[in-house]
Amino acid sequence: MGYVAVKGGTNAIEASIERIKYERIKDMEVVSVETILSSMRLLVDQVMSEASLYSPYLAALAIKQAEGSMEEAVFLLRAHRSTLPRLYYSRTVDPYEMFVERRISASFKDIPGGQLLGATHDYTHRLLDFQLLSETKQDLENWLAQYSAEKLPRATRNEITHYPKVVEYLRAEGLFETYEADNTSPDDVTKYSLQFPASRSERLQILTRGQTGAITSLGYASLRGYGQVHPTVGEVRVGRLPIYVSLENSEMTDPEDDYYLGEIKVTEVESFVPVTKKKNTNEHEIEFEIGYGVCYGQNETKAIAMSILDQCLEHPEESFATHDEEFVLLHVDSVESTGFISHLKLPHYVTFQSKLDSVRRVKQGGTENES
Amino acid sequence: MKRKRRTEILIEGDPSLAKELSEMILHKYRCKELVAPRQGMTMVKMRETAKNSLFYIGEVLITEAKVEVMDHIGAGIVVGIKEELAKQLAIIDAAYKAALPETEEWGKKLMEEEQRIKQAKIQEQEELLKTKVLFETMDV
Repeated sequence: MGYVAVKGGTNAIEASIERIKYERIKDMEVVSVETILSSMRLLVDQVMSEASLYSPYLAALAIKQAEGSMEEAVFLLRAHRSTLPRLYYSRTVDPYEMFVERRISASFKDIPGGQLLGATHDYTHRLLDFQLLSETKQDLENWLAQYSAEKLPRATRNEITHYPKVVEYLRAEGLFETYEADNTSPDDVTKYSLQFPASRSERLQILTRGQTGAITSLGYASLRGYGQVHPTVGEVRVGRLPIYVSLENSEMTDPEDDYYLGEIKVTEVESFVPVTKKKNTNEHEIEFEIGYGVCYGQNETKAIAMSILDQCLEHPEESFATHDEEFVLLHVDSVESTGFISHLKLPHYVTFQSKLDSVRRVKQGGTENES
Repeated sequence: MKRKRRTEILIEGDPSLAKELSEMILHKYRCKELVAPRQGMTMVKMRETAKNSLFYIGEVLITEAKVEVMDHIGAGIVVGIKEELAKQLAIIDAAYKAALPETEEWGKKLMEEEQRIKQAKIQEQEELLKTKVLFETMDV
């Protein structure tokens, strides 16, 4: 049985494309890319993260074009990414250089530098704010003027504060293992097909660009018992990281001659996971390991869930799907999963007709193997 | 001033500074555009803090331009879609590579701008510190 070429859909497809534009604009409301950028910050962050391309402006454009559909916006941005040349690889970004906008710990009340709530929905009432229905630009101006005049303190310090990491404080106490810097060049899943077992760098790259919902669901499944990782969040950080490149294409060149490109905002999580280890004396001892999560923009649920899955995949367990890297890594990508599900909408006329023929023959008393 | 420091000042600082410095060069020297401002990507390599290993977090959209001034090639690279700034950065980079006399006068301006950037960041931190939790143990 072969494929059968059919035609006749061209006019219908053209009309359908016009219809999707009609649905977007029929109410004569124009939302600008700038409006999306300013007012839908977290949606923009999510699209960039899942598309694996940091560009707030293009993410906002994709959201507009996709009428707010996450999967379509991610697809558009991922497709655009494939048209762009990759001109450089950055110097290794050091998370310790982050300009921290928010950091909290669920493990310790008192952390060096303190807990900084920053901007978060965590403590808001989840009640619809009907005042937003009549919000005007004048309202915004008034609120901002009052906020900066009355509520914002004036700086008295002379230096920028760099916050130490909670985990370093525990490493200094010998409670967590310290690892030498591993400078092995990372693998790149955008260049080569994934082979199993996957390297740590491949696992982290796939998880960080994974679909927020998929990463969250699998992390949640692990917590509920379909896995063996239930961590305590050591630290969640949201902040900006500087990006540098060297045109000399060598790590040996003087870093002071690098080019500064700008900043990217990320969310970074270290989760503390208790594990039982067998010592040389044959005794079992509880130690802590770290699950690591990071993603573009502010997306704390995804980064925490990623830290759970990172730890799951570090400890393969046959009995749990969330510890199976083939199961996790092959199913969390937005474009792959939505694309494969969507392909079911494409014509399967011949394959389905063949199945129908088989059923008819069986119903009529024949056998499936009759010619 | 080394490139890392000056490119950070020019990108994070007032955009008029890069414009002003590049125009000083354009008025006096011939500038040949080698690569017109174009969009591309930089793959971001990151160190994770659990096992201290490297991985790629993803790509970032950049604008790049290259110019030649007095037989020296300069590059301008900046995150986002910023064609004018990329070209201005390339001109300034070429001027430094060619050690043009104008660059000797730029140090003071750049350092003043660096100070403004630093103060703005300190101010932002001060504002964020308003959200710092001051725990008090309750009597129960």
